[in-house]
Amino acid sequence: MTGINRRTFLGISAGLGVAGLTGCGSSIGAAAASGDGHTVKVGLVIPQAGVYTPLGVDIQRGWDLWLRQHDGRLGGRRVTTVVADEGEGPQTGVPAVQKLLQNDRVDVLVGIVSSATALGVRDLVTSARRLLVIANAGAGAITGTNRSPYIWRTSFTNAQVAAAMGRHLAESGVRRVYAIAPDYVAGTEAIKGFSNAYRAGGGTIVGQSQPPFGKTQDYQPFLSRIQSSGAQGTFCFFGGAESVAFVKQYAQFGLSRTIPLYASGFLVEGGVLSAQGQAADGVLSTLHYTSELDNPANTAFGQAFRSAYDATPTAYAVQAWDAAEVLSRAVAQAGAVDGDSLAAALGSVGVLTDSPRGPWSFVQQSPRQNFYLRRVRTRAGAPVNSVVEDLGPLDPES
Amino acid sequence: MTSLAQTRAAPARPRLGVGARTATGIAAGTLLLAAAPLYLAPYATTTLTRILVFGLLAASLNLLVGVVGLPSLGHAAFFGVGAYAAAWTAIHGLAGAGALLVGVVVAALVALVAGAVAVRASGVFFLMLTLAIGELTQQAADSWESVTGGSNGLYGVPAPTLFGTVLDQPATTYWYVLGFFVVGMLALRLVSTSAPGVVLRGIRDSEDRMRALGYRTTAIKLGALVFAGAVAGLAGGLLAAQQRLVTPADVGFETSALALLAVVIGGTGSWWGPCLGAALVIVVRDSLGATLDGHGPLALGLLFVLVVYLLPTGIARIRLRRAAS
Amino acid sequence: MPTTQIAVTAMVNGLAIGLLLFITAAGLSLIFGMMDVLNLAHGALFLTGAYLAWWIGGEQQTWPSLARAVVAVVVLGAAAGGLLSLLTAPLSRRSHLEQALLTLGIALVAADILSALFGDDVRATEPPAGLDGTVTIAGWSYPSYRLALVGIAALLAAAVYWTVERTSLGALFRATVSDRDMVATVGVDPRLVRGGVFVLGSVLATLAGLLGAPIYHARPGLDTTILVLALVVVVVGGLGSIRGPLIAALLFGQVESVGRAVLPGLASFLLFGTLAAVLVVRPRGLFTLAPGGRR
Repeated sequence: MTGINRRTFLGISAGLGVAGLTGCGSSIGAAAASGDGHTVKVGLVIPQAGVYTPLGVDIQRGWDLWLRQHDGRLGGRRVTTVVADEGEGPQTGVPAVQKLLQNDRVDVLVGIVSSATALGVRDLVTSARRLLVIANAGAGAITGTNRSPYIWRTSFTNAQVAAAMGRHLAESGVRRVYAIAPDYVAGTEAIKGFSNAYRAGGGTIVGQSQPPFGKTQDYQPFLSRIQSSGAQGTFCFFGGAESVAFVKQYAQFGLSRTIPLYASGFLVEGGVLSAQGQAADGVLSTLHYTSELDNPANTAFGQAFRSAYDATPTAYAVQAWDAAEVLSRAVAQAGAVDGDSLAAALGSVGVLTDSPRGPWSFVQQSPRQNFYLRRVRTRAGAPVNSVVEDLGPLDPES
Repeated sequence: MTSLAQTRAAPARPRLGVGARTATGIAAGTLLLAAAPLYLAPYATTTLTRILVFGLLAASLNLLVGVVGLPSLGHAAFFGVGAYAAAWTAIHGLAGAGALLVGVVVAALVALVAGAVAVRASGVFFLMLTLAIGELTQQAADSWESVTGGSNGLYGVPAPTLFGTVLDQPATTYWYVLGFFVVGMLALRLVSTSAPGVVLRGIRDSEDRMRALGYRTTAIKLGALVFAGAVAGLAGGLLAAQQRLVTPADVGFETSALALLAVVIGGTGSWWGPCLGAALVIVVRDSLGATLDGHGPLALGLLFVLVVYLLPTGIARIRLRRAAS
Repeated sequence: MPTTQIAVTAMVNGLAIGLLLFITAAGLSLIFGMMDVLNLAHGALFLTGAYLAWWIGGEQQTWPSLARAVVAVVVLGAAAGGLLSLLTAPLSRRSHLEQALLTLGIALVAADILSALFGDDVRATEPPAGLDGTVTIAGWSYPSYRLALVGIAALLAAAVYWTVERTSLGALFRATVSDRDMVATVGVDPRLVRGGVFVLGSVLATLAGLLGAPIYHARPGLDTTILVLALVVVVVGGLGSIRGPLIAALLFGQVESVGRAVLPGLASFLLFGTLAAVLVVRPRGLFTLAPGGRR
């Protein structure tokens, strides 16, 4: 009977798959770490498929570039990098981390774009006592209420980026603002971060909307609300394809002429900016980095990045670059690669003065860093985020 | 639901009870699975745990697809609801079997409500109605932040404890999941191979005839849906115990679709075939996929295409009738 | 902004989106309703059309580039339709679920190829000069491309409707559905008819992708979004007619536009809530033909 054949075949191939892909041995007893004093094995968890892939590409570029410029060594130890695909969310991200920890026996984990994945692997990482350096995910809880001594972050918190804009708008005399962000945790955090800072400075939120996340292609219903709200400006937080759709439609429906757009910098960071074209012209945003920053570290970094990849560096690449930098310092200082030693070393790493983003330091395991007000303008035929003003440092989650 | 227990004359009644050979097979399979952590590396054990969880989901779905002829594209709703309920219960102090029980009960209740709406449709309309139910459930999981944690999900679910031991190692988690997997599978087998199964197959083959024979077919289909939903809820509870995290993706379209595809791949003819389909899907997606530089979906796509062409089923066809026929 | 303006904007917008949705879903409905194949690669066809629009026209279409893009999507859509017809032919006697397994597999492979060819960034394209601006009438602003889309999509929709319901070609399609053998005795190869329906359905999908590119922007994942929307429209409309999907598409255009404006808090529940509500009231969709005859 062919049905039996199919099942037999499937059974054999699945069995071989489990054994072959994952190796035999025993699950009983403790797993030994690989550290031999001369090497360090790093698991890079980044999205290689799905909507977040462009961020994964930038993170890998930042990581590779740092290693290439530092002889492939972190704190004197030769690095082996194992890359695993994080996918679009925890359904693929958690198994990827499990694989790196249990199968590849990595010493350190770096990466993770999705906040849900970052929160979901907390217990895995903590019970394995390995260090995880988050190179993007921005949920406040990762280094806040759900903190683990083994999880550190070199990126940002969603609220922090938005708060920088809230504070700036209140100070610059914009009194009434409409806030819009997708209906998911990061969007809610951004609106909250913005509103708290903006209201504290005396501003009024005249309305807010949270369109369905990942399910909105047409923002017209929300744009009409903004138009009739009497707002002097719109604050928004979008990323990826949604940022392209929103910025374009904001211009197409004629809003950009009357109600200026202010944003968390992700709206106009990286590949999405060129896809937005003319529509993004003049958009003001806050972020902890822009390729246009004028400091010696960024000039060198920018040149190296452009010559290596023929692309403009992004905040995502810098986050990975800095992850390598702090890890290198921690490994050198700790003289070991286990999670406890590295976490302790990170705690005393101090202020990084030669980062492309400007000086920053860890406060509660997440960066206290400068934010920049940036304006989209065209330079040499390509859109860039030029620096308008250095808004000074902010603590995470402020 | 009385007719579920009745054994009226119905076409092609299979052997009732468990034959000696089958019993031996089940016992041998269980023993082999139980010994797996002794000869598999930790990651292989973790993968096998995922397979058991997903396999139980697929097997419960097969009760609907293969036995009753109801192709559901929203089965992850019950799986996810069970997972959320169990995770919530565990976080609020009751980990282990108690959390699983809560998951099963809540999933069964949701299946009862959803089923009352869905069982009137059939074929592709049932497929899309269940899809809608699944998507609405996922949306609720996304929106009800105070209970579900929103898009970040419920994380930090405590590991189950048994006799004072915390089951948080790959092997101990595996045995815990395996125990309940066996319970769930036996329950599914009992329903699909004994008297109720005969009635359900009769409905699949000709609902009109069964109605003419005096069976309240709508009520029976609803009963099957609630039972399948309860087992899916058990699988969900096990997911919460294993992954220690539940997110809206576990409720949504992708999980439902993969479960349905696992059923089709494994073949709907047997009660354990879908577990093999599930195993293949999990291995390709999670273990192989993570190493392919982003070509995991490609591998999954090729698997689907190859299975269809190279391994045509000789087994009972799924009745997804044309609406107009 | 006065309330009437908001209402008009929402309704015009719903019409534009609804008509585009119809062009997208019509192909899926034709192939499913007539050839009984559930083609889950339909979204990948749409995405291919959208990518081609960007690849040929770049970030700013011109009229000549748009003409080239139209030719390209028609040729490629036809080729893809022929290929899909051949690939699914061996499965015509197998269950819908096996067909779904195959076509979803093809869709995943196609998505990987598209990602390899066009990258993972968002690929946005602007319509050609004259259609890329904003129309302002008495203070009411609206993107000109969307207005034009209403006209273009309405023409295309009328052409599809007329072809299927009024021409001998359409009659042949419909005859193949009800009695394959009889069509064969008239001297027409049913395999050709089958191929024809696949080609027509696929060309509609890639054309819809081209038309939708300036609104939806080609990107990974758009294929699934569009597939689900089209499936919803097809099922709500009911199988076997072209009128069903048309009315369902127009309905969902308004639901996604007016509905979201009126009930912003429930925005995420509207699409599937409507689907569930329709199927609860009418378990076979709005316009499914009763067995044995047209209604």
